[in-house]
Order: sequence, then structure tokens, then C-alpha cells
Amino acid sequence: MATTKVPEVRDITRIERIGAHSHIRGLGLDDALEPRQVSQGLVGQLASRRAAGIILEMIKDGHIAGRAVLIAGQPGTGKTAIAMGIAQSLGPDTPFTALAGSEIFSLEMSKTEALSQAFRKAIGVRIKEETEIIEGEVVEIQIDRPATGTGAKAGKLTLKTTEMETIYDLGNKMIDSLSKEKVQAGDVITIDKATGKISKLGRSFTRARDYDAMGAQTQFVQCPEGELQKRKEVVHTVSLHEIDVINSRTQGFLALFSGDTGEIKSEVREQINAKVCEWREEGKAEIIPGVLFIDEVHVLDIECFSFLNRALESDLSPVVIMATNRGITRIRGTNYTSPHGIPIDLLDRLLIIATSPYTEKETRQILKIRCEEEDVELSEEAHTVLTRIGMETSLRYAIQLISTAGLVCRKRKGTEVQVEDIKRVYSLFLDEARSSQYMKEYQDSFLFNETQTPAMDTS
Amino acid sequence: MAVQSWIDILKSSKKTALIHDGKRKVHYLFTDGKEMSEEYDLKTDELIVRKWRLKNTLGGQGQWQAEVGEHLAGPVTSLDSDGLRENCSNPVFMRKDTKTSFQWRIRNLSYPKEVFSVSVEPTERCIIIKTSNKKYYKKFSVPDLDRSQLPLDSSALSFTHANNTLIVSYKKPNEILTLERELLKELKKLKGTCDGDVDCKTQ
Repeated sequence: MATTKVPEVRDITRIERIGAHSHIRGLGLDDALEPRQVSQGLVGQLASRRAAGIILEMIKDGHIAGRAVLIAGQPGTGKTAIAMGIAQSLGPDTPFTALAGSEIFSLEMSKTEALSQAFRKAIGVRIKEETEIIEGEVVEIQIDRPATGTGAKAGKLTLKTTEMETIYDLGNKMIDSLSKEKVQAGDVITIDKATGKISKLGRSFTRARDYDAMGAQTQFVQCPEGELQKRKEVVHTVSLHEIDVINSRTQGFLALFSGDTGEIKSEVREQINAKVCEWREEGKAEIIPGVLFIDEVHVLDIECFSFLNRALESDLSPVVIMATNRGITRIRGTNYTSPHGIPIDLLDRLLIIATSPYTEKETRQILKIRCEEEDVELSEEAHTVLTRIGMETSLRYAIQLISTAGLVCRKRKGTEVQVEDIKRVYSLFLDEARSSQYMKEYQDSFLFNETQTPAMDTS
Repeated sequence: MAVQSWIDILKSSKKTALIHDGKRKVHYLFTDGKEMSEEYDLKTDELIVRKWRLKNTLGGQGQWQAEVGEHLAGPVTSLDSDGLRENCSNPVFMRKDTKTSFQWRIRNLSYPKEVFSVSVEPTERCIIIKTSNKKYYKKFSVPDLDRSQLPLDSSALSFTHANNTLIVSYKKPNEILTLERELLKELKKLKGTCDGDVDCKTQ
């Protein structure tokens, strides 16, 4: 059989954009939960990382619900980085929901509703579901490409079992994934009908020839028996919020028109809680408490805090991690001041992890890691200068200078960022302290400054 | 006894009837959330369509599944969104009952009659259609018998082949016949609103 040469399907590699915390891959702890000085993108903060490691173990065990942790520290001391580290070490199976404190203020939804949705997004349920799969040996794949090279492709796939044979029409997406998996006649494959996922099980025994060239990992399997379409149980994880949404949709054809779900009735939630508990007792489902991370928690107001107090007591509550960079400040919505802007009764329920400012050595390390992440080469002197800048202004400002200096360096066709490049961007971009200084000096010449001058005497 | 329990379930369900297009359409809502919809011919009282809709595990609404009659031609989905679709030249399986027997028709089977063999598998409670040329194979159960927990009997089974169609018939046992008569009497008592839009109480 003459096979036409199939052009290789280009692998679509996702281009990862570099974010503020994209260098973090974990908490950098060893098996005994002892933090390593520099590991997985994190530097220093040994005590807080060890504390986070203990919290992480607690979450992984999954027995403890409704605990809350507060990460407090000055700006730029790695609070969000530690939370990201926890998220990375938890892996994809444990739900991790991150939100900024301001996200709960919406005109469409009450604050407590937004918080309950966030809480429920952070609880996973592993459940078995039946799906339809097609399992068979490929007899023939026929793909027609238009002569012009572009346009829709059409294809046919013939599958068989020991008892029957069926022809399928293929859509464009299926043709692409079939050629990506390099499916050939004689392969035994399964296709998940709902998702369209193809998996190769191996080659059929009937196609085994003595002198065929094939890789060592080629497996031979029997041709499947019986019907082509089978029902199979699969396990997958959904969040409680997703179950809420499915059950709160308007029934019937009106469901087509209701876009967002808005507020979910508390009766629906209660029903689902009862159902999930029932499933758990029957062994059909397993509850995975996840993590809810609320950044900038001081922007929440007193109503949210009292809701949190209550919500943390529910047994279907995730581990809540909050972060704030405030000291003693006013609690939003009241005239009282409190540490971190959080009421004392909630603070009392929290485990507090403190982060401390980085030392010069640590700043140097972090800058080095960021240089690698942003693909910028730094000369030794430039590195020292940048570290000085980082210590005197802020770590964030120093990190901002890395890519800008890298660009300046590339413009003068250099390969390594020199002190001059750093100097140049340092003079081009102001840091926060110099900007404030400038403001103070030239305050009078800015717009709307005239209102500050004493009003003219009109009487 | 088992026959009785199915009747009781039917009786306890919420029913809405509607007469439209020369068909008596009945919608049942069972206590466990399942929905069943039936259509009967007004003149002959023959069952034309029976379909089911179940809630899926997470509580969402599933699609209608035809037990009797043709699959609904739902909104035409493009091949690109589905990715994969059975070619129209493949055999089409559907059930179409007569007064005295359950009947299944499989169209697009152009092989001679000798190729087919139809047998009953009493342990698995299903009927199996096989082909000696290994082109078609189908294993299916008889939901009516399952619901009433009646045994499958190989002597009630027969099949013919004509016009590219294989017709498999299974003679309805007496229990089923009386059940269907009773149900029909019950349904006729439901006052079916004639034509026009009606509020479906059960939905």
C-alpha cells in the first residue's frame, strides 16, 4: 500500500510569557522540610518557607479544613512568591484559587457571594463518571487535502474490532490530532467521544511481520472484541463551584440565554453539600480540600471579615492563605485600627508567617535568578551595581531594570550588560524615592496646584 | 409482582398529555428526576417514540436518548465541532414496535440473510446480532423486559432481511401485553389538551 507522505504537524509550543513570579517552581524544601538557601527560584526567608512547608504538608494530608494562614511582611519580601511556591508544590490535582482582595467588589454580585464562590472553587471533588469511548484497530485512514494546499481537509477513518467494522467521517481537528499522534493502519486506538482525545494502545498482533522495522517501545496488543463503542468509567476532579453552576442553571431552553450564573441560591448549595456528603459515604466521591489565596487582604472590609470568621468554621472549607503588607491600620468599613487592618477576632484564628527584608547577598541571588529567567547576561560589576540599587531603592525596581538594561545593551550591540547600561536606565527611569523627591521640588509647577494657594480675599 | 412495581412507578409519576399532529404525546417525570416522553398514534394506538432523559452524575441535564423510534435530528452540528461522526453509509439501528412484538430494524445492511445470526444471551439479558463476515455486531437489551424483570426467551425471537434492512422481532409476552393495555387505558383518561401551546406541569 502506497502511503502518501504526510507533512509533519508543527507542534504548537506555548510561548510562556515572563511574569513577576514565573521563576518560582516550588518552596525549595528538602524531604525533612528544611529549606535550602537557594532552590526552586526562592532565596532566603528560611523561617517563613519552613513554616509554609508545614502548612503545605497539612494541606496535602487533606484532613484539616478551615485553617487560615496570614503571610505578613514589608513590600517586596516575597509574600506572593511563597504563596506561588505552595501552589506549585501542590501539583495540578489540588485546587488552588488565587484572588486579589479587590476582586470581590463587584456590582453584579454581593461581596459575600463572591467570597463563597471563591471558597467553593477551592474545594475539589474527585468523582467517577461514565463516558463513551470508541476502541478499535485502524483498518484505513484516508485524508483528502485540497490541491491548493489550503482549505478544509476531509477524511475517513475505518475502525474494526474482531466482530465489526465502522467508517467514521473526520473533522479538521480530528485529522490534525490523528496525524500528530502518527496513527497508522494497524494501530489500536481509543477515542474519547466527549473530548476527542486519542490515545494509542499499541499495534495489532495481526499486523506483526518478522522484518518490520520498529522501535523498542512498540507494543503489540490484541484487536479489541465486541462493539466499537463502549462505556467506560473515568475519574476526574471538579470543584464544588462547578457543580453549583451546573445545578443552578435555568432549566430548559432558557439556559441558552442565561450567560453568567450570578448569585447561586443557598438552597442549591445546601442540596449539593448534602449530595456530596452522600457520595462520599457511598465511596463514589472523594473530597480534596484545596487552597484559597487572598492577596492584599487589607482591602477587604469588616463585612467580609465577619463572613470569613463564619465560613472558616464550615467543614467544607479550604485552607485560606492571606497576604498583606500593611502594619497597624484602619479596618476598612470602620473607624477602628488594628494590626494588618484585620479585626482581632479573625487574627486570633490565623497562623501568622512573617517575612523579613532581604539581605544584600539574597538580593544578589534573586537578581541572578531573574536575569536567567529574563534571558539577560549581566557582567560582574553590573550585578554589584544592580544589587546596590536593589538594596537602596527596592527589589522590584532593580528587577525592572534588568530587562530595560538588557534592551539598552542589545541596542549598542553588546552581549553582556555593563555598568554603563545600568547607569543609563537608572537615569532614564526614576525609582519611587527619586520620583517623590522630584515631586516635592517641583510641586508648584504641576497642574491643579493653584487651588492650594490661599483663596483670594473677596470680602 | 415485578410487572406490578413498574406499573406503580408509572402511576406515581407526574404526567402531562398533549394531542398534536395526530399523536398523543405524554411526558412523565419520575420521582428520581428521570424523564420519559412517549408518542402514540391516535388511530392505531401504536407506540411511535419513547425517549428518556436522565440527569448526569453532577446534576446537569443530559440529552434525550431514544429507546423507541428514530433519534431526534438535533441541531445540525458541524463535523469540525464534533471532530468525528459516523459515516452515513454505516448501519442505522432503531427500534420500532408493533402491537404484538418488539421490533428492531437495522438499515444499510446489504449482506445476504445467511450472513446474520441472532441469538439470545439469557445470562447477560441481551440479544446479540452477529455477522459471519465480521462487518456488524450489536449487543442490546430489551428495556421493557428488564423493567418488568421478565426472562428472555429464545423461541420468541425471529428475524428477516429485505431491502437492505434486517428486522429482528421478539414476541411480546402476555404480561407485557396486559401492562400496555392497562397503561393505554390510563393514558386515555388523562385529558389531553388539543393543539396549541400548553404549560407543561411536569417540567
